[in-house]
Amino acid sequence: MTVAVDTEVNLGGITLRNPVLTASGTFGYGSEFAPFFALDRIGGIVAKSLTLEPRSGNLPPRIAETPAGMLNAIGLENVGVDAFLAEKLPLLPEGLPVLASVFETDIDRYAEVCKRLSGAPKLAGLEINASCPHVKSGGIEFGQRVELLARLVRETRRASSLPLFIKLSPNVTDIREMARACEAEGADGISLINTLQALDVDLATRRPALRNGLGGLSGPAIRPVALRMVWQASQAVKIPVCGIGGIMTGEDAVKFLVCGATAVQVGTANYLNPMAAVEVADGIERYAAAHGFARVSELVGTLRPYASSR
Amino acid sequence: MSASPSPPAIRVDAEVRANQEEGAENRRLRLGVPGWPGSAPGQFAMLSPGSRGAAERYDPLLPRPMAVYRTVPEAGGAELEILYKLSGRGTRLLADARPGATVRVVGPLGVGFPLPQLGQRALLVGGGTGIASLYELAAAAQARGPVVVLLGARSAADLMGRADFVALGVDLRVATEDGSEGTPGRVTELLETALAAPDAGGEIVYACGPTPMMRRAAEIAARRECRCLVSLENRMACGFGVCLGCAVPRTEGGFALVCRDGPVLDAGSVRWEEAS
Repeated sequence: MTVAVDTEVNLGGITLRNPVLTASGTFGYGSEFAPFFALDRIGGIVAKSLTLEPRSGNLPPRIAETPAGMLNAIGLENVGVDAFLAEKLPLLPEGLPVLASVFETDIDRYAEVCKRLSGAPKLAGLEINASCPHVKSGGIEFGQRVELLARLVRETRRASSLPLFIKLSPNVTDIREMARACEAEGADGISLINTLQALDVDLATRRPALRNGLGGLSGPAIRPVALRMVWQASQAVKIPVCGIGGIMTGEDAVKFLVCGATAVQVGTANYLNPMAAVEVADGIERYAAAHGFARVSELVGTLRPYASSR
Repeated sequence: MSASPSPPAIRVDAEVRANQEEGAENRRLRLGVPGWPGSAPGQFAMLSPGSRGAAERYDPLLPRPMAVYRTVPEAGGAELEILYKLSGRGTRLLADARPGATVRVVGPLGVGFPLPQLGQRALLVGGGTGIASLYELAAAAQARGPVVVLLGARSAADLMGRADFVALGVDLRVATEDGSEGTPGRVTELLETALAAPDAGGEIVYACGPTPMMRRAAEIAARRECRCLVSLENRMACGFGVCLGCAVPRTEGGFALVCRDGPVLDAGSVRWEEAS
């Protein structure tokens, strides 16, 4: 097969050389992967979530392996927005789209982090992590209550003119309602899914497997749930969807494109294979070539329903 | 003297050359690793949980951190020896890997041991699989001064690498909890005895093994005002500083990452009561 495939996609105003981004929290601040591949071979990076001040995170154990997946409760550990801008962002190559992820405990602080990031010359966009517990609402995630989510999108939209993506929590009854709220409040796109809230038990001690008790489940185990939600959300809104959830291979990523995602994020796979993101990008291109697609973007939303039987 | 700088890590498919029993629940894996750039004593690698078969497998999902026991450079790479204990699904699947099978390796990773000062006596304390981190250190430390290796296990059948340390010609002392070999009791008691000797003073202590053992070794060393370095064995998903799963609390506040700041850390920098 020698047909050249155009892999470029436009994600809410950001041009990506291919539809593969790395998911926040799984790719550090990017430079950790420089020994393994040239970072400009992927579409872009979503950096580790940032808070206003540096945070040091939870006591161990912070991770646990589960069937075809893992649980984590790291606890917001990050260098803080100012150190990111001063020390981490400059290390990334020119021309590589970088989205900063923002994670906070109240809306004013979210907005303040967005404001500080807005002037950064290298930043392609913002991704708002809506899975953070809202302290004033007794710890419910911002992304779990539609009016709270709408307010979060409105205020972060007001704080920054950068392309704005909202990373949705899957721990909701109807993801379509959340997606519509983001669109109505001016988001440029949505990313989903974040981790599924989960629990495992250490039988030697009968304690939770994680110090935090609950954690977020990721990895191939969650992929079909993620595909379902991406498909539902992409049917509900016109803004682009970035698909996330257990993507390990190019074929996995193509399924997300077919279900309506414009681009994808590779997450947990980066841990077990530091070259996973590049391999996913190559695999998407191979699939497109083998199936006669001149442009990867032509795959988006091509899920073919069965003909109605009566 | 600080640890030598490490070459950048690679990700590579390695060939299993042998995977032999080494005592009851222990195995010795020999891997042909193309392009292995060399590693410093105390560094580690991430190994896929079992061989990579005809099709990709994602359960178990995560690679396992393993100390590089010994490396032998060869044309185009190196042979790596890994000593490991069957402790869960990942290591049991790894034990099934036959010669010719492929195991994925990411490494070398982490910061290894600083070597002793010239002429300084080194005391290496290994408990259980912890001994796997200490062989290359023992070999390197021998070039700088006298080396005493204290090996501990539950019983004689659980001892690993004993013959290799004998072959190195270090001063080897063994303790088993059931008394089936060497001194009956814990390996930390051997350390206490060694540091109480009339000619003792100014040693550097290296410890690797179960957390309570390292904590105890650190206390003994501190009482004698000896520098003590420990090599930690925390759960981790990546091995190169991005999952943040292997964080260990520091006495000064915040966390060290075992994979990036360690696995070798100054014993005094670890907040032991919260370390596991």
